[in-house]
Amino acid sequence: MLIELLTERYPGMRAWLTQRLTGLVMAIYSIVALLRFFIIQPENYEAWVSFFQPIWWRIASLIFWLALSMHAWLGIRDVFKDYVPNYVVQRVLQNILVVLLWIYLAWVLWLLLV
Amino acid sequence: MQNNQPQNSQKVKLRPGQKNRPKNLNLFTIRLPINALVSILHRATGCILFLILPVILLLLQFSLSSAQSFESVVSILHSPFIKLMLLGLAWAFFHHFFAGIRHLAMDVHWMTTLMKARYTSKVVLVLGAIATLVLAIKLWL
Ligand code: HEM
Ligand code: HEM
Repeated sequence: MLIELLTERYPGMRAWLTQRLTGLVMAIYSIVALLRFFIIQPENYEAWVSFFQPIWWRIASLIFWLALSMHAWLGIRDVFKDYVPNYVVQRVLQNILVVLLWIYLAWVLWLLLV
Repeated sequence: MQNNQPQNSQKVKLRPGQKNRPKNLNLFTIRLPINALVSILHRATGCILFLILPVILLLLQFSLSSAQSFESVVSILHSPFIKLMLLGLAWAFFHHFFAGIRHLAMDVHWMTTLMKARYTSKVVLVLGAIATLVLAIKLWL
């Protein structure tokens, strides 16, 4: 039944589940990030750079940001749907949102690669 | 806001049976139960977190690009006003986090009766406040 609810016929269910799963991913990442920060306590530039050095941490950070992008897209889109009655304006805002999120994602990719 | 009687009420064409009722959209006359408070704060903090993303990315980029720019980022973060802003931002994150966890719990049908929901609303507000307080102590002591 769950599988059926997730098909094209019920796009709202997909959005709902995506919002939950991405929230969960971000919650876990946040806890791990906080723990790492208090264990390592990076006090200077070298320590700060090596905080982001491990490949597993970079991958985790990328996954976090992918989750954040989807989460923010669905979340802010809902806010627009609720508060922007004019359909054209709403679509324009949604498109700006998507462009911004793509730019941020590219930015993060670049930060994590260099 | 008592200007809900249209000045041109004579000219407004009413449908049959429709009364020219005053519309009350004064937000300050609407009671906000604690569940609703947690809910609207979850939305507000979600928007705040989204709006602050470019600033976070900028700070991250500068702090990682060279030792000098790292030092300037640290000194920016250590100025009193910025620390206050950081604290506000941290509260936004903590609230969104705990309220989000509450959402997930209720989605699996945990704590869904009205009394329990009111109770977990308080828990969310208190946890957010405690986390912010702990951070404040860390930042200023
Ligand atoms: C990458 C992040 C950070 C690093 C590497 C770092 C590093 C340091 C270092 C080395 C000190 C000792 C400086 C001194 O003795 O004057 C210090 C002190 C301090 N840090 Fe940070 N810090 C970071 C982030 C933060 C943040 C985000 C805050 C607050 C928002 C903060 C608040 C403070 C405070 C309040 C002190 C004491 C300042 C003082 O005694 O004047 N730090 N930090
Ligand atoms: C830390 C982990 C996070 C968790 C557990 C979480 C959880 C949730 C959940 C469960 C919802 C759905 C609420 C509903 O359906 O009414 C939601 C909505 C939302 N989230 Fe998050 N979230 C997190 C982080 C973030 C971040 C980092 C952002 C900002 C980029 C964000 C922005 C939003 C927005 C804008 C909404 C829509 C609010 C609404 O429609 O009222 N969230 N969050």
